[in-house]
Amino acid sequence: MTTRLLHIFRNTPVGREVLLQSTYFCKTINADPVIYIPEFIKFLMYFENDVVQIDLDISYLRAPETARAHAAEIVSSFELPEPDFITPIHFTASTLPDIPTNFDFMCCPRTVSDLSVKIGLGYIGPRVRRIIQSAKFPVLIVNAVYKPWNSISVLFGGSANAITALRLGIRLSRLSGLPLDVFTQLGKHSKEHYQEIIRKEKLEADMEQYVRSWTVFDKGYLMDNLYDVPHDSLVVLGAYGHGAIKELIFGSTMEKVQSVLLNNLLIVGPKYQSPM
Amino acid sequence: MRKKFGFNIWRYPSRWIFFRFDDRLLLISIGALVGSCSGLAAMALNRGLIGMFEFLHHYRQFWWAFVIPGIGAALSSLFLEKIIKEGAGHGVPEVVYSVSRYGGLMRMRSSFSRLISSCLTIGSGGSAGPEAPVVMSGAAIGSNIAQFFSLNDRQRVALVGCGAAGALSAIFNAPITGLVFAIEVIIGEWSALNIVPIAVASVFGAQVSRLLAGNQIAFTHLQFHVRPIDTLACLGLAVFTAAVSILLTRTLRVSGGMSHQIKIPVWLRAMTGGCIVGVIGFFLPDVLGEGYHSVQLMVEGAFSKGLMIVSLLVFAKIVATSFTLGWGGSGGIFAPCLVIGSFTGLMYHRFIEVVLPGVSWVNEGGFALLGMAGLISGILQAPLTGIFLIIEITGGYEVILPLILVSAISTTLCHAFEPASFYFKDLVEKGHYLRPRTDEKVLADLSVGELVEKDCMIVSKDMKLGDFVKIMQKSHRNFFPVEDEHSGEFLGLIHLDDVREYIFDPLLYETVFLEQIMNPDIETVDLDDDLAEVLDRMDANHLFSMPVIANKRFVGMISKATLLDKYRSELIVQTDH
Repeated sequence: MTTRLLHIFRNTPVGREVLLQSTYFCKTINADPVIYIPEFIKFLMYFENDVVQIDLDISYLRAPETARAHAAEIVSSFELPEPDFITPIHFTASTLPDIPTNFDFMCCPRTVSDLSVKIGLGYIGPRVRRIIQSAKFPVLIVNAVYKPWNSISVLFGGSANAITALRLGIRLSRLSGLPLDVFTQLGKHSKEHYQEIIRKEKLEADMEQYVRSWTVFDKGYLMDNLYDVPHDSLVVLGAYGHGAIKELIFGSTMEKVQSVLLNNLLIVGPKYQSPM
Repeated sequence: MRKKFGFNIWRYPSRWIFFRFDDRLLLISIGALVGSCSGLAAMALNRGLIGMFEFLHHYRQFWWAFVIPGIGAALSSLFLEKIIKEGAGHGVPEVVYSVSRYGGLMRMRSSFSRLISSCLTIGSGGSAGPEAPVVMSGAAIGSNIAQFFSLNDRQRVALVGCGAAGALSAIFNAPITGLVFAIEVIIGEWSALNIVPIAVASVFGAQVSRLLAGNQIAFTHLQFHVRPIDTLACLGLAVFTAAVSILLTRTLRVSGGMSHQIKIPVWLRAMTGGCIVGVIGFFLPDVLGEGYHSVQLMVEGAFSKGLMIVSLLVFAKIVATSFTLGWGGSGGIFAPCLVIGSFTGLMYHRFIEVVLPGVSWVNEGGFALLGMAGLISGILQAPLTGIFLIIEITGGYEVILPLILVSAISTTLCHAFEPASFYFKDLVEKGHYLRPRTDEKVLADLSVGELVEKDCMIVSKDMKLGDFVKIMQKSHRNFFPVEDEHSGEFLGLIHLDDVREYIFDPLLYETVFLEQIMNPDIETVDLDDDLAEVLDRMDANHLFSMPVIANKRFVGMISKATLLDKYRSELIVQTDH
């Protein structure tokens, strides 16, 4: 089955950078980009148990006459076949199209603070979180400037979502042939605890085959230790693995990581299941 | 690793021991909660409308009062478009769309957006009703509560029905109408799984209304002594109401179409429509707002205006409703239907009094009631809703026989001229009106991706026939997709029939390449295609299977045999209760 990545295209210089990142991701893992060029300022995504309305920045509607050609040009520059463009079939209201959600990945621009909202997917912060929580696909959150990555880093904390992230990292490493690094911040458990989890999940052989290094931080804070993550790697991590109440009190690891790490992030939500 | 649902078990009530005993208990319990919340929402709108009427009442005497409905409609439109950013609509079609297509998934914002916008539109004098907005609000409340508790699609749809029933039940203080409307119009499936929780929600909605507003019926009525001659005369009334229903449906559609051709901002369009309503209302104040005061007078037999004025009011109310709803105001057509229906009943009564002056007819209030039932049944094409609504909001059964006749005939006549009701016309045209257990619904709930068979052996266009024969021996399929080795692009298909004449001649094994014998003109399927459409194409081209292509790459095959398997499984799921 072909692997497909959903990309919402914005026909601006920022949108070009984001599509470059998406296309590079597709090229690296042999996926096909599927591009939606918005004709309306908002759209809906219906997931299994949630419906998310994305309210776009007005810049997404800019220069529609050249958008398709620009997007196709970027994709073909990576020697990929001409991308599929989504034409919405279903509409919840006349100006509110429903965008399919049966993809393997989705790309979103990054938002870190209020100031960067202007280069985000509308007021994307809460929307991206909702998508990550509801989607069966991982979400690729990219930087505003195109930067190829040469390795894959998985942040492995032992939760159910972290295991899924690790599986995804292994799959990406297998598809791309790029080296995989794993990073674990020790808390109340020792390294043996995490090794036991990997053994129970029958990931030992894959770890042996694909993982270049497994760095275990036994001192300091994760936020400080993230300095060791290669600057040119795609960081894969799980999100919302600790339950709503715990994350409300202690904060989300994903939020912390994305606030200090400017790498491209591939976020795995609780509904995602690795096809491997 | 901790258990997946350890901390969140309270959000998964279907896993609680109590509800494992019988999951209908779960739906009944949550249905009661949904009904109460919907009832509260309905009462909030009711109080809001009363407040708006009282506040604006003093300004209606001024000459500039015609702009008040315009300002209300503009504010309503701005609120929906700029603040809430919700696509406008009548409400009920959106609910049915979500039930048909997405298992009742609705946005949280829908649970309050229409309450505020319709309050602005109707409270300022727009000719619309609060029922559709409260139905949408209640349905969204039900949907979001179902999402919160991670219920499945069928349970969620039942709770959407609970929300609609609770809201309608509360706004009219009519629990049976709420139940019947939710089943007949929203869900379209009479099954115990739906009826029981919706009935409970309806009771709770009505109870909330009675606690907050007292146990009042909407319209007090006189005793009507209906005789056979009146029942006979109702046949004519049914034709009248059907004609007016069709006229209202078409005027609403034409008005909506006209407004969309005018390229002005949405809020300005709504304001223009509202101002036109204001001008009509300046001369004929009975067309403004919900119009329930006029209905009350007609039911009591105290509406003094003559035949010509009443006839004019029928058309004026139709035009006012069209300019309110078709031009961007927010609200529903329930209340306008009741008003137009009662005007129609009254008009008919006065007409037959003129034509047959020697006959002693039942009080004109009786005909007003029957007219309301005829209009509601005709517009919604939901006769039971029309019958129970009129019985409950008037608190009497004296007119039940002609009521059933008028509703049945009006629905039938309207259906003959307008096969889909006003609410569902667009949904039907776009293929979104999918009722449970129907062929369309089963197909819509399946996707091409679920049916793809991936066990095909892909071959290259440069492969020699000899190599292909070896591959054929290993495959149990009749089809072999051909791809470009470098780009991975799908080029065509080889069917065993295509190569039969070559494979028994070994001399050709080294000289014939697959590119020469493949069929490049193949009907293909996209992953996002609708299955109903795919099936139509298979039938039209006498095909049993088709290749599925995404981004010009071969994904797999889709066949009628697999489709039938999955179709049956899906049908069992939909009917297994």
